[in-house]
Amino acid sequence: MPSMHTGTADPGLSEGPLGGALSRFASMPVVWRILSLAIFFTVWEIAGRSNFNWAFPSFSKTLMAFFEMLGDGSLGAAYLRTIEPLGIGLVIALGVGISAGVMMGLRRDVEWLGLPIFITMQAAPMAALIPLVTYVYGIGLTSKVLAVVMLAMPVITINSYKAVRNVPASAVDMCKSFMGTRRQQVFKIILPAASPMMFAGIRLGVAEGFSGVVLAELLITPTGIGDLITFNRSIAQYPHMYAVITSIVVFAVVAVTLLHRLEMTLFRPEKRGT
Amino acid sequence: MSMIRRVFLGAAGGIFTAATLGLTTPLMAQSDPIVVAMGDIASVESLNLLIAMERAKERGVPMEMTFFNSEDVAVQAVLSGQADIGVGAPYAFIGNSGAPIRMFFRMSTLLFFPVVNSEVYSGWEDLDGQEVTVHSRGSGTEALMRLMEEKHGISYSNVSYVPGSEVRAGAMLQGTVNATIVDAGNFRLLQEQGGDKFIRLPVDDVDATDEALYANTNVLENRADEITIFVEELIRTWEDINANPAIVGELREQYNLLPDVPAELMAEAVPYYEEAVASGIYPADGGSPENVREDIAFLAAAGQVSGDPETIDPADYWTFAPLDAVR
Repeated sequence: MPSMHTGTADPGLSEGPLGGALSRFASMPVVWRILSLAIFFTVWEIAGRSNFNWAFPSFSKTLMAFFEMLGDGSLGAAYLRTIEPLGIGLVIALGVGISAGVMMGLRRDVEWLGLPIFITMQAAPMAALIPLVTYVYGIGLTSKVLAVVMLAMPVITINSYKAVRNVPASAVDMCKSFMGTRRQQVFKIILPAASPMMFAGIRLGVAEGFSGVVLAELLITPTGIGDLITFNRSIAQYPHMYAVITSIVVFAVVAVTLLHRLEMTLFRPEKRGT
Repeated sequence: MSMIRRVFLGAAGGIFTAATLGLTTPLMAQSDPIVVAMGDIASVESLNLLIAMERAKERGVPMEMTFFNSEDVAVQAVLSGQADIGVGAPYAFIGNSGAPIRMFFRMSTLLFFPVVNSEVYSGWEDLDGQEVTVHSRGSGTEALMRLMEEKHGISYSNVSYVPGSEVRAGAMLQGTVNATIVDAGNFRLLQEQGGDKFIRLPVDDVDATDEALYANTNVLENRADEITIFVEELIRTWEDINANPAIVGELREQYNLLPDVPAELMAEAVPYYEEAVASGIYPADGGSPENVREDIAFLAAAGQVSGDPETIDPADYWTFAPLDAVR
């Protein structure tokens, strides 16, 4: 997500092929970002007004629908409903996913047991499996939480596993030569060294979690955001439908961007802005 | 070298395109079938439509059927020209988008069975302050329950949404739901499994369209003759089925319709049509402006469309030209 840290005046940007001209504009990244959004919204507005598709509303209508739903509280209520399975699912995915990944990284026997499962989960098209969940767990909250877990957990686990595996052997050897115990090795060397990559996995997992919860709400029973999308679609209120879809996209992007920022601040001093 | 090759390829491509276009265009204009788009897979319930299509084919109207996974995808296909005729009742879509599609034949009226667990409730009045379960927000099932709420002067404490008639019937059998609304097949299932435990609440004076046929206005104009033949066959088929529902079984065999449907499901076809005809869900007249007003009144109760049924113009939703041509 390179656009996220243009605001921190990345020196690399000014050395692009356009040289001097770009460097002057790069010093005002906010203008660029506003311009980029303005162009996008203008194109949207023109496309909506051109009536190329009867179901495609203009940007202004979508924005009005957004404020209307914000005003009557339906959007807020929908987000509260959606955040419940998303939150519970992510807590489970993070807890189980990180511990499983770290254990797989530390112990060969756990790796043999667990890795095939997580690789399968990561490769499988989960949207096809979500309807199966309903056969076992019905149509309630449990199924939706499970959908979030199914999408978010594999990437979290596999990143944690790889992070632990990629800890430099020299650092572990150093710990040994200082007579460090296994416990010290894990908590003082391996986990700190693995945490940047683990955190990247968490960020990707959260992004997947958003897909999971929206899929669940569209495929299992319509609640929250999924309900607003299906309902407005069924009564052909397309501005409202687009407003909801855009809002969940923006919400996910903001959440993932904030995690990315946190990651930069915590683990990657070399990439932090000056 | 590359220049020569490009010119050569371009010329060859041009000749090829011209040749294929020249060959296929006149043929396509003749045999370009009228594509009917359904928002669901074809089942026993669509046999009547399939029979009418076969009969129209016999009279020289090329037709074929295609399936989408929801009604609004079918609407989009009709709008974009990928399909010519759609199956459904897109009142909300037409009302909200102003798109140039119009309904032209009323295939069936809504037949739903509000059921309650007789151990808990005995009539509409008992549902005051109680929870009812319907298919989805803005669906026909919700519209009907809302209309009954209005008619009987009651108000539900909550309307919850469980898609799928069979799922709601299952929940009734398990006892997790005590008041819901199901279709004919699942009402029969409830009666078979539960006996007197489940009772049907009376629904009177509801005459709303379940499914209609609609098309893009330019298709209705450009292929008016073919659509007239199709509508004639629809009316003839509906009359035949209303006179003798068993004819569905004979015609299915004659035209070899839905050959992939398993025999045990197909065995339900004739009983299904007998029951449907007895309930009067296949209107013989193909629709009227009064029906449009009733539909609007019904859908407005569920919040699907806005507008006063008395002041709306039926021509905004329907065209009666094909029906008038037949009459």
